[in-house]
Amino acid sequence: MKQQPLLPYRFKKIGWLLFIPFAIAGIYLHVTDYEPNWITTKVFVIYNESLFSDKKWFSIVETNITSTLIGVGFLAGCLLIAFSREKVEDEFIAGLRLSSLQWAVLVNYSLLLFCFLFIYGFVFMNVLIYNVFTVLLIFIGRFNYLLFKSRKMNADEK
Amino acid sequence: MKNNLKVERAIHGLTQEDLAKKIGVSRQTINAMEANKYVPSTVLALRLAKVFGKQVEDLFQLDESDE
Repeated sequence: MKQQPLLPYRFKKIGWLLFIPFAIAGIYLHVTDYEPNWITTKVFVIYNESLFSDKKWFSIVETNITSTLIGVGFLAGCLLIAFSREKVEDEFIAGLRLSSLQWAVLVNYSLLLFCFLFIYGFVFMNVLIYNVFTVLLIFIGRFNYLLFKSRKMNADEK
Repeated sequence: MKNNLKVERAIHGLTQEDLAKKIGVSRQTINAMEANKYVPSTVLALRLAKVFGKQVEDLFQLDESDE
């Protein structure tokens, strides 16, 4: 049966290898409110506007890219985990994947709606930052939970 | 939909793992079908029928909730 294109199984491991260190780094930065300045370099920007600089379109800007790198590493890890094949990939697993994605989108936007209604002020920025990652995180959690459950169900059966 | 995969599998002396390998799916899939938690695609149903040398209708039947 025709299935959605996915990356080979080995990318899943690479994904976890990226995910774990970058998740720890990201959580550490967020919890400590620390703004590290480890790597400052010139980068190409499509658009840049900050407090102390003019609006710039399509130019080279010198900036601190520490949090950019952490965010990119984390997202890349999430994407590899989310869109790699399982060891044995078939229509049942594909069904679990699709239903997990639907579940994740629904839960994510329900949470966002809740936050829109009940969280105000500058703290709302945090909601937006989390929301960048939560669809994928909820999806990964849900999908792996369903896989785990179907494996466990398996173990009881001869 | 109900099915008698478990019975057929026992008759042929296959484990879930054996059957899974024969039709190219995961063991979870066989288990989910036997537990009536998953309705397979037509392709998969035909493959199962081929392995057991039966018609699809011998393996899968509609039940009251489908009619």
